[in-house]
Amino acid sequence: MANEYSSFQLLANGILKENPIFKLALSMCPAVGISTTVSNGVMLGIAVLFVQVFSSVTISALKNFIHPRIRIPTYTLTIATWVTVIDLSLAAFFPGAYAKMGIFVKIIVAFAIITMRLEMFACKEDVSDSFWDGLGMGLGFMVGMVVIGFVRELLGSGAVFGYDVLGFKPLLFFILPSAGFFVVGLMMAFFNWIEAVYAARKREVKQ
Amino acid sequence: MSNILTIIFRLTLSCLIAGTVMGTTFVFTNKAKKANEHAREEKVVYSLLGYSAENPIPESMGLYEVFRYVITDAGQSSIGYLVPAGAGDHSEGFTFVRIDLEGKYMDSNPVTISHEKVREQKDRDVAIAAAIGGGKDIRFADHTIIVTDSGSRLAYLLSGKFPGFKTSIHIMMALDPTYSVLGLEIMEHEEDPGLGAEIEQDYFKNQFKHKPFETIKSIEVAKAPLPPEYFDAMEGKVDEEAAIEVMKQYRDQDIYALTGATISSAAVSNGVRSMTKKFAYRLDILDRVIKEQQLQVPF
Repeated sequence: MANEYSSFQLLANGILKENPIFKLALSMCPAVGISTTVSNGVMLGIAVLFVQVFSSVTISALKNFIHPRIRIPTYTLTIATWVTVIDLSLAAFFPGAYAKMGIFVKIIVAFAIITMRLEMFACKEDVSDSFWDGLGMGLGFMVGMVVIGFVRELLGSGAVFGYDVLGFKPLLFFILPSAGFFVVGLMMAFFNWIEAVYAARKREVKQ
Repeated sequence: MSNILTIIFRLTLSCLIAGTVMGTTFVFTNKAKKANEHAREEKVVYSLLGYSAENPIPESMGLYEVFRYVITDAGQSSIGYLVPAGAGDHSEGFTFVRIDLEGKYMDSNPVTISHEKVREQKDRDVAIAAAIGGGKDIRFADHTIIVTDSGSRLAYLLSGKFPGFKTSIHIMMALDPTYSVLGLEIMEHEEDPGLGAEIEQDYFKNQFKHKPFETIKSIEVAKAPLPPEYFDAMEGKVDEEAAIEVMKQYRDQDIYALTGATISSAAVSNGVRSMTKKFAYRLDILDRVIKEQQLQVPF
């Protein structure tokens, strides 16, 4: 496969141009449900990063073996396998982290972003490109989760990373799941606005 | 047709590979996982009793595990307790005492099982089945640790679970010999973060600390704001003596429900109430039976 993009471009693509949460609007359930604190966002982000990278590489390596008619079941199987492996390894070797991350790791099987990346990218491109793409998507997801988590934790519990910074709870509403949609919506608007401004400036320079 | 066969073959192969990978990981990690869980439980046990790695349990103390079973024999249910036998030097194995539902003694049988293996439910079930004879349905119910210091009872450690807002809440708690609560620890739960998950915070679970049995028996949740000085005392923001003084004032009060999580709060206080009440009732019967039958137990 012709290498159209550099690895850095693939990485940046996942974080900015095709950010899973703010641009592709995928995996909104976890983004809304779990991002109540910054540390939750980081934990889920790390877990997704690992699963995404491992699954992308696996599918990319096996793409010639997978029958096109059964690719979706195969993706699900691959993701489930990696999630289980990561879940068991964490429980065995990092009990401290697992105590906090355990429930998040198990639900990754159902994440749309991972299946979508396998379908759109990994099953067509070679292994190293898939690795960078998976890394970029995972990091993009993590950035999204951390940003949403930051806003919600600050406004909902007046804290950042569990440390009380405001000394009071401004709006308990932000802890509730419905508030996640507001934060995601505002963030999307913000990202699109930045892109619009950036594109307009680029046009001006050209003229 | 050949398409179907290829698909079947490839999908089966993928499943087999995935299964092998998962199985291998399980084999490699299971032992470490169990050891971690056990280590965590032990740590909670020590911290509930007020000990830690720097402040280890004194030699004179003994921890004895009692396992409760429900036995069904030809439609007749009875309760069985697996208690350590002898004077407590962990050498004489266990005794399985059976008590009927009215609290009358039925029989007791020696069970041969080592003190390491008794923690494994499968090994334990097999040993008990061998001791009481086949054809009976035995079901593990719960286990309690009885803590003694130079022969007299110091505390009971109960572990149990009850339904929370979404799934079960697993807790471990320590009671003193008069069944007053010494401490409470939430082991596992899946309550909503920021709302029900606050049950694991000190300012909620320490509300149970030092509540006498009489209060626990009828404890409810109160929908009232938590007084700030009580919050500070439970979170350890004031020095220890002042905290004890403040907590004494609230000793006979109900539990202050968490904001936005009344169901989780009520679940925990109902769970603690029923666990304590049932335990007190059962232990009284077991103690009476042990005394009447003059069974040799270390506690």
